[in-house]
Amino acid sequence: MREPNAIDFWRGLALVTIFVNHIPGNTFERYTYSQYGISDAAELFVFLAGWSIGIATRGRDGQPEPRLKSVLRLLSRTVEVYRAQITTMAIALAMIAGTALYLDNPLLLEWHNAGGFFADPIQTMVGFVLLTHQLGFFNILPLYVVLLGIAPVFVLVARVSRVAALGLSVALYASSLVFEWNLPAWPGEGDWFFDPLCWQVLLVLGFVAQDVNRHTAWMRLWSVRLVPVGIVIVVTGIALAVLEIRPDPMMVPEPRLVFTFDKTYLSPARLIHFVGVLLAFQTLYAVLAPRLGPVTGYLVSLGRNSLAVFSIGSLLSLAAQLIRFSTGGGVLIDLFVVGSGLFALGFTAWFVEWRSRKPRSSSQPA
Amino acid sequence: MALPQASVFLAAGLMLAATAAWAQGAATVVSPPKTTDGPETVDVTLSPECRVPGSKLYTLAKLGAVKLALKEKRPVRVLAIGSTSAGPGASASYPVKLETALERSLPEVDVVIESRGLQGEIASGAGERLRNMVAEVEPDLVIWQVGTQDALARVDLDAFGSALDETVQWIKSHQIDVVLVNPIYTASLAADDYYSSVVRRVQEVATREGVPLVQRYEAMRYLSARGDKGEEHMLGKQFRLNDLGLRCMAEHVTRAITLSLLQPDPDATGSAPGAIIVSPKDAAAKASVPPRPAGQP
Repeated sequence: MREPNAIDFWRGLALVTIFVNHIPGNTFERYTYSQYGISDAAELFVFLAGWSIGIATRGRDGQPEPRLKSVLRLLSRTVEVYRAQITTMAIALAMIAGTALYLDNPLLLEWHNAGGFFADPIQTMVGFVLLTHQLGFFNILPLYVVLLGIAPVFVLVARVSRVAALGLSVALYASSLVFEWNLPAWPGEGDWFFDPLCWQVLLVLGFVAQDVNRHTAWMRLWSVRLVPVGIVIVVTGIALAVLEIRPDPMMVPEPRLVFTFDKTYLSPARLIHFVGVLLAFQTLYAVLAPRLGPVTGYLVSLGRNSLAVFSIGSLLSLAAQLIRFSTGGGVLIDLFVVGSGLFALGFTAWFVEWRSRKPRSSSQPA
Repeated sequence: MALPQASVFLAAGLMLAATAAWAQGAATVVSPPKTTDGPETVDVTLSPECRVPGSKLYTLAKLGAVKLALKEKRPVRVLAIGSTSAGPGASASYPVKLETALERSLPEVDVVIESRGLQGEIASGAGERLRNMVAEVEPDLVIWQVGTQDALARVDLDAFGSALDETVQWIKSHQIDVVLVNPIYTASLAADDYYSSVVRRVQEVATREGVPLVQRYEAMRYLSARGDKGEEHMLGKQFRLNDLGLRCMAEHVTRAITLSLLQPDPDATGSAPGAIIVSPKDAAAKASVPPRPAGQP
C-alpha cells in the first residue's frame, strides 16, 4: 500500500467531485469546484493518470523499466479498464431497465442515451462492446481505454526525447481541434463525448511533467514562480463561470473549436484554465494534508483505488439519480444519497485493499 | 399495411406534385386535404394507429428558415436532438422515419437529418451543449425533444424554463428554426405534479418564443385513452403505449412542420418569388394527392 501522497489525494478529490457531479440537479452539485471554473474534475483525472504512468513505468530508483515490460503493463491496465467499462455499462443498463419495469415507467428507458440500446439492441450491442455506444456519464472509461492503448507510443518516444513525445501529442491535439477529428459514435450519429485525440494531450502532459519534475529543478522553481499566474487564471475562471460568460460558438472565427469552451474537444480555454488550477493549487496538499485529519486518509484511499472507486461511483451516481427521480428528490434525499454514496466509495476502497491482502494471508499455513 | 395500390397512387401523386411545382419553378409543400374542422376530429392524414386530433397534437408557428431553404431550393438541414436517437441503420429509428416522412411531405426537397443525443446535460448545461451542436451542424431547423432528462433529474422548474427559453432565443437569433417536442405521457407520471409542470413549461416557452410545439404528452395521453385494441405488449400497457408513441413521433413532428410551413407569412413581400405553398385544396386538385402522404412504411 502506498503512503499518502498528493497524487492520490487530488485523484480522490476528483473522484468525489465526479460522483457528485454525475447526479445532475442535486443540491451538493453547486458546492463542487467544477461549478467555479472552465475545466472540471475530468481534466484532473486524466492529467493524474498520465502522471501515474510516469511513476508506474519506472523503478523505485527512477530508472525506466524495460520497454517491453512498460508496454505489457499498459496493455494489462487497458484490459482492466475495458473490463470495468463493460461491467459497469451492463449493470447500468440493467439498473435502468429494472427500475423502468419496477415503476412501470418507460420514461426511464430514455435515460441519457440509453434509449438507443433499448430501441435497437442488435446494433447497439455491437457498439456497446466496441465502446462506440456510450451512456451519459459512462463515457470517461472509454476515453481512458483509448488513452492507455496509445500511451505506449508516447512512453517509448519519451524515452528517446521528451520534446518529441510532447510535440507529437500537441500536434495531434492541434490538428484534431482544427479539423474536428474525433472517434465516431455508433450506432447513432455524432462522436465520442470525450475526444481521445484531443484529451491525450493532458495524459502526455501529465506523463512528461512527472518526468521533468523528477529530473530537473527548473520546473519546480518555475511552477512556484508562476503561482500568481495560476491564481489570476483561477479567479478569471470563477468570474466567467459565475457570470456565465462564454463565447457564442456561432460567432467565433474559424477554426471554431480553438475559441469555444468545448468539453468534447478539450478546447484551449479549458486546457489553459486547468494548467492555471494546477499552478495555483500545486503546493496546497502540503498545507491541507496535516490539517484535514481523516479526510486526507479518506481521499487518499479513494485515489489509491481509483478504477474500482470510479466504477462503483458511476453506478452509485446512477442509483442516486433513480432514487431522486422516484422519490421526487429534495434536500433530505440528496443528503441521503450523497452521504451514503460517499460512505460506499470509502468502503469500496477499503474492500479492494482488504481483498488484495486477504487471500494471501488465508492461504498461508498458520 | 402498405397497400401496393396506395403506394402507386402516392408515388404518382407526389411525382405530379413535384412536376407541377417544378413547372412553376418553386418549392411545394404538399398538404393533404383537411378533414372537417372540429377540436376532437382526428387527423386522418396520420397512420391509423397514430391518429390524434390536431388540437392535441401541435401548436403551429412560422418556420422562416425552412421556408427560405425551400425558396432557395437547397437541402433542408435538420438537427434532431433527443434521447431516442437510434442508429441510421435501424430502418425503424426516429431519425430515419423523420427524414422519410419529411421528404414525403416536401416532395422535391432534400431533407438531411443529423441526430444527436445529449449525454447527461440538463438545464443550462444542455443549452450549452446544444449551442456547440448547432455550431457544428449549422442546421436550418432544430427539432428538440426536451424535458425528459430534466424531469428525470427533477431540475428546478424555473432553472429549466429559463434555460430553455434562453437557448430557444439563441437558436432563433441565428436565423434557425426550432420545433420543440415535449416529453412522453405514461400513467405512472399522470399524477406527478412536477412532471406535468415540466410539460407545461415546454409549452409556455414554445408559446412565448413563437415556435411550433409537438405535444407528444397530449398525443400519447389521447392514444392511451383510445381503447386497448391491438397486440398486447409483453411488458404491459405503458410500454406498449411508449412503443407506439415512438413509432408515431416522426409522423407527428412532420405534421406539425408541414402545417407550420403553411402558416401565412406576414413578412413575405408580394414581389419576391416565394415558395409556393400549395393549399390543401389546391394540392389535392392539382396532384390528386391521396389523403395519406406520410408515415406509411
